[in-house]
Amino acid sequence: MGAYLTRRFLLMALTLFGMSVLIFVMLRLVPGNVADILVDSAGIADPKEKAKIARELGIDRPIFDQYIHWIGGLAQGDLGFAYVSERPAIEEIAPRIPISAKLAGLALFFSVILGVPLGVISAVRQNTGFDYFLRVLSLSGLSLPSFWLGLLILMASVQWFGMIPIYTNEPRSMIDELLLLSIPAAAVGFRSSALIMRLTRSSMLEVMRQDYIRTARSKGASQTSVNYDHALRNALLPVVTIIGIEAAFLVGGLIVTETVFNIPGVARFLVEAILWRDYPIVQNLVMLIAFVVIVVNFLVDMAYMALDPRIKYAD
Amino acid sequence: MRTRLAFVAGSLAAFVAVSAPAFAQKQGGTLRISHRDNPPSASIHEEATISVVQPFMAVFNNLVVFDPKEKVNSPDKIVPDLAESWSWNPDQTKLTFKLRSGVKWHDGKPFSAKDVKCTWDALIGKADEKSDLIRKNPRKVWYSNLKDVKVGSDTEVTFELGRPQPSFLSMLAAGYSPVYACHANGRDMRSKPIGTGPFKVVEFKRNEAIKLVRNPDYWKKGRPYLDAIDWKIVPNRSTRMLGFVAGEFDMTFDSDVTFPMLADVKAQKADAVCEARPSNVNTNLLVNRDAPPFDNPELRRALSLSLDRKAFNDILFQGHALNGASMLPPPAGVWGMSKEMLESMPGFSPNRDKNLAEARAIMEKLGYTKDKPLKIKVSTRNIAIYRDPAVILIDQLKQIHIEGELEPIDTTVWYTKIQGKKYSIGLNLTGLGVDDPDTNFYENFHSTSDRNYTAYKNPEVDKLIEQQSAELDREKRKKLVWGVEQKLIEDGARPVINQNAANTCWTPQLKGVLLQHNSIYNGWRFEDIWLDR
Amino acid sequence: MAIINHEAELSRAGANVTGWWSRILFFTRRYPLGAVGALIVLLFVATAVFANFIAPYDPTSTNARASLAKPGMDYFLGADFMGRDMFSRIVFGARISLTVGLGATLLGGILGVTIGLMSGYLGGWFDLATQRVMDVMQSLPLLVMALVMAASLGPSLENTIIAIAIPLVPTVARVVRSSTLSLREQPFVEAARAVGMGEVRIAVRHVLPNTLAPLIVLGTAQLGSAILTEASLSFLGLGIPEPYPSWGRMLSESAAEYVRTAPWLVIFPGVAISLTVFGTNLLGDALRDILDPRERT
Repeated sequence: MGAYLTRRFLLMALTLFGMSVLIFVMLRLVPGNVADILVDSAGIADPKEKAKIARELGIDRPIFDQYIHWIGGLAQGDLGFAYVSERPAIEEIAPRIPISAKLAGLALFFSVILGVPLGVISAVRQNTGFDYFLRVLSLSGLSLPSFWLGLLILMASVQWFGMIPIYTNEPRSMIDELLLLSIPAAAVGFRSSALIMRLTRSSMLEVMRQDYIRTARSKGASQTSVNYDHALRNALLPVVTIIGIEAAFLVGGLIVTETVFNIPGVARFLVEAILWRDYPIVQNLVMLIAFVVIVVNFLVDMAYMALDPRIKYAD
Repeated sequence: MRTRLAFVAGSLAAFVAVSAPAFAQKQGGTLRISHRDNPPSASIHEEATISVVQPFMAVFNNLVVFDPKEKVNSPDKIVPDLAESWSWNPDQTKLTFKLRSGVKWHDGKPFSAKDVKCTWDALIGKADEKSDLIRKNPRKVWYSNLKDVKVGSDTEVTFELGRPQPSFLSMLAAGYSPVYACHANGRDMRSKPIGTGPFKVVEFKRNEAIKLVRNPDYWKKGRPYLDAIDWKIVPNRSTRMLGFVAGEFDMTFDSDVTFPMLADVKAQKADAVCEARPSNVNTNLLVNRDAPPFDNPELRRALSLSLDRKAFNDILFQGHALNGASMLPPPAGVWGMSKEMLESMPGFSPNRDKNLAEARAIMEKLGYTKDKPLKIKVSTRNIAIYRDPAVILIDQLKQIHIEGELEPIDTTVWYTKIQGKKYSIGLNLTGLGVDDPDTNFYENFHSTSDRNYTAYKNPEVDKLIEQQSAELDREKRKKLVWGVEQKLIEDGARPVINQNAANTCWTPQLKGVLLQHNSIYNGWRFEDIWLDR
Repeated sequence: MAIINHEAELSRAGANVTGWWSRILFFTRRYPLGAVGALIVLLFVATAVFANFIAPYDPTSTNARASLAKPGMDYFLGADFMGRDMFSRIVFGARISLTVGLGATLLGGILGVTIGLMSGYLGGWFDLATQRVMDVMQSLPLLVMALVMAASLGPSLENTIIAIAIPLVPTVARVVRSSTLSLREQPFVEAARAVGMGEVRIAVRHVLPNTLAPLIVLGTAQLGSAILTEASLSFLGLGIPEPYPSWGRMLSESAAEYVRTAPWLVIFPGVAISLTVFGTNLLGDALRDILDPRERT
């Protein structure tokens, strides 16, 4: 076990290192840098002024130096200075994390309370009309672009309620904030709930086909208790996995949803920072996302091991 | 007796109640406005976009300012701001300002003539090495005639010009000309600037919000009325509009409501006050004259003849844009040509069929036909307000056997690309900070300007520009200006398609809004605006 | 070593059918949802291929008089604010979606298969290195990866395809690698080796065909997600540039601004995206059931 963990941590560190190189190089392939943007956005293209700003920001130095500078700082917890706002990057990024985290948490919550029960029902009533209906519903969840869903929700809420659920800066209370976030969270969560439902359904079906369920049934346990008790408990294992993976991948859905609902979270910030070539922000945000994904994957594996004693990570 | 007294008192109260809204502006309230994008910085002197001027003009004062009670900015409607009065020397090369005393910066330090000197020294590149008040200056050409700024006393400062330039005062009156504090540094001015103006910056949160609060020590007694202004940055226009309609915002961003959208806003919010006005931003073509195919003057002529300005106007502005050359036409503009004069210019004749026939004849003479069209790329910035007219242009070019393909260029490399002449036709928008010939001509068409990025060069035009700039007689100067305009049109320097117009809307509870009709960049001090809530 | 053995499926079901029509009928009855999906996908492909014949107008042609025209006789699905016919734009949009979706899936597939085959077959340091690279690529969500790629390549049709294809590579590579690993030790591969067949030939002739079934299932799923990713990228302004009538682009900026007066501008492109992806998902599910009995549900 100890050896396994050591190996695992090494691999995680290696992956993060690879990510740092990848994002660093990719950003520098982008035509135009922040000095171009700052100067061009003022309607001038004065090479002297660009050079001055580039020197000030240190982006005229050799790429390797820049990389060492960034990664060295990162290792000491220093994220550097945001180019555009000229403030420490940490001050720009940190306040946005809880907002996205709350949104993602809510979305995940919705998708689980919707996805798991519907998946179970769908499996138990396999091949009935209701099952078909739920399957079509869940597939449509995978097919609707979440930004479109968001636009429709915005339209509808202005049309019918005369209000617009966009995020104001200081929601009066936590409840207010959660209420406000719940609408975009539903838009993001719809997709993951569909995924979770499908997986719950298929793993339920698999378990229900297995022998011990048949045995339990033949022993006279009632159909319902067998379905819900035995099958669900066993079927939940793969569901836990997908929930974990989905939690990390929600970030993709957050990007468009935060844009549509004007939520000042990290995902929308990433898009803006890319457009502004604000390297310190983009690099650190990408590293943050990669870190979350990797850690979640690790936790999922650990949970798997804890839940299923048959799985052993010996080496 | 008793009843009579009560009656009198009652009617008095009624009188007060009825007439109160007429003069008594209410103090207090927070104005909520939507902002269209993230301002690159808060430093007005370093930027050239309404995204910066509209929110931050309220933080500062100028020396002088265009009269906020007048809709049309004109050189004879300039009123004192930080300067109490001003005077020219006899040969009109020295402009002396008598400054207000007792004015304080937001950090409590006193304002003096030194601050004025610091600001303009930085703008003309004369600031000492240590000063980093301004790191880039998009309006260098405004001050190419400014030789020195001399401090007479704490309350007196003199601007020394190389030659007479009547426009100089207009430039100082623009929203783009705030006075900066000597003791401030560039980084602060870009992120959380201090000024002497009616509002203080509490916070400028990138991509999110700009918060201003009332400056209790403002030198103008009783102003501003508002307690605070909350700008919320909402990059998605449909979300902005929905927010305004739903009452989340009291006012839209300047000129944010296009004509096709106006009906929708009015339908959803019947009591919204919407005002249409020209933005003094014009849509124009950049033509690369140094490379084939448009090095051929005949082809350039065909191009300008082919433009169906009415179609652009009908689609993008539902017919509300103005037809003009590079200066905004009257009555909104002070310097533009009259309608009759404009229509006598090549390509501006209202007889579209005749223009089109002539353009087609030229193209066919050059050997292009429907089956053998001229293939070009139409470059433009990858932003909707640029792309939309470009799409229409490509559609129109089909009629004269030109097959255009849109090349959307990332904003980051747009100017570099144009300056590098790596285009054949570009679709561009040009905004004027002041309705003034000097700012326009020097910036965009004079051979020495660094914003003349098409590198248009005509010594004759350079001379005419200088001549009009020094002319003190307004009517004589107008004629010279029209002469420049005519030359520019004949040369196809930057064929203007439309002088754009758009709407700004606000809630009826917001009082005292006065939009200036020949520049969106002026008139955003917010000190006379109040909320009736 | 059955490749796509629908015969097996038929015989498993005990069906005794011959001829194309009866086969189609059989599958339609057995997988009604899949058949609906196939129909939608077919319709989508046909629209894309015959766009020139279907669309009544040039999708880029503007017309002031038709600005924001309501759906009706002249403009079947209405017109946008520049007076461009929505129906024609959606029809041509199918071509963009198909080009990007198919292009990205194929490109990602080819790269993924090559890498996966080499990785599984060669093993050793090559395998180790590519696996670590795949780890890195998979540590970002698809859209985030595509976003960064799209930004660094710049907006164009080709670049959008590349930006979407690259993030698809790791999944394909992993699937191919794992089947390659298990197949490598199979008797028929040993046999081929024994008769002196070259390694590359073994890989291409024997190993690759056996990974085809999971690949087709994966590919259909990826087609849908590529179409969705393109729509999201274009919506964010980083995908397909304006002259092309991309569905995602139609939903962004100018269209959504007229959402109240002209809801058709928002509704129809959204329906087009959703329906197409829905179709590929239905088809994908059915294909998985048919081709990959282990995952049968």
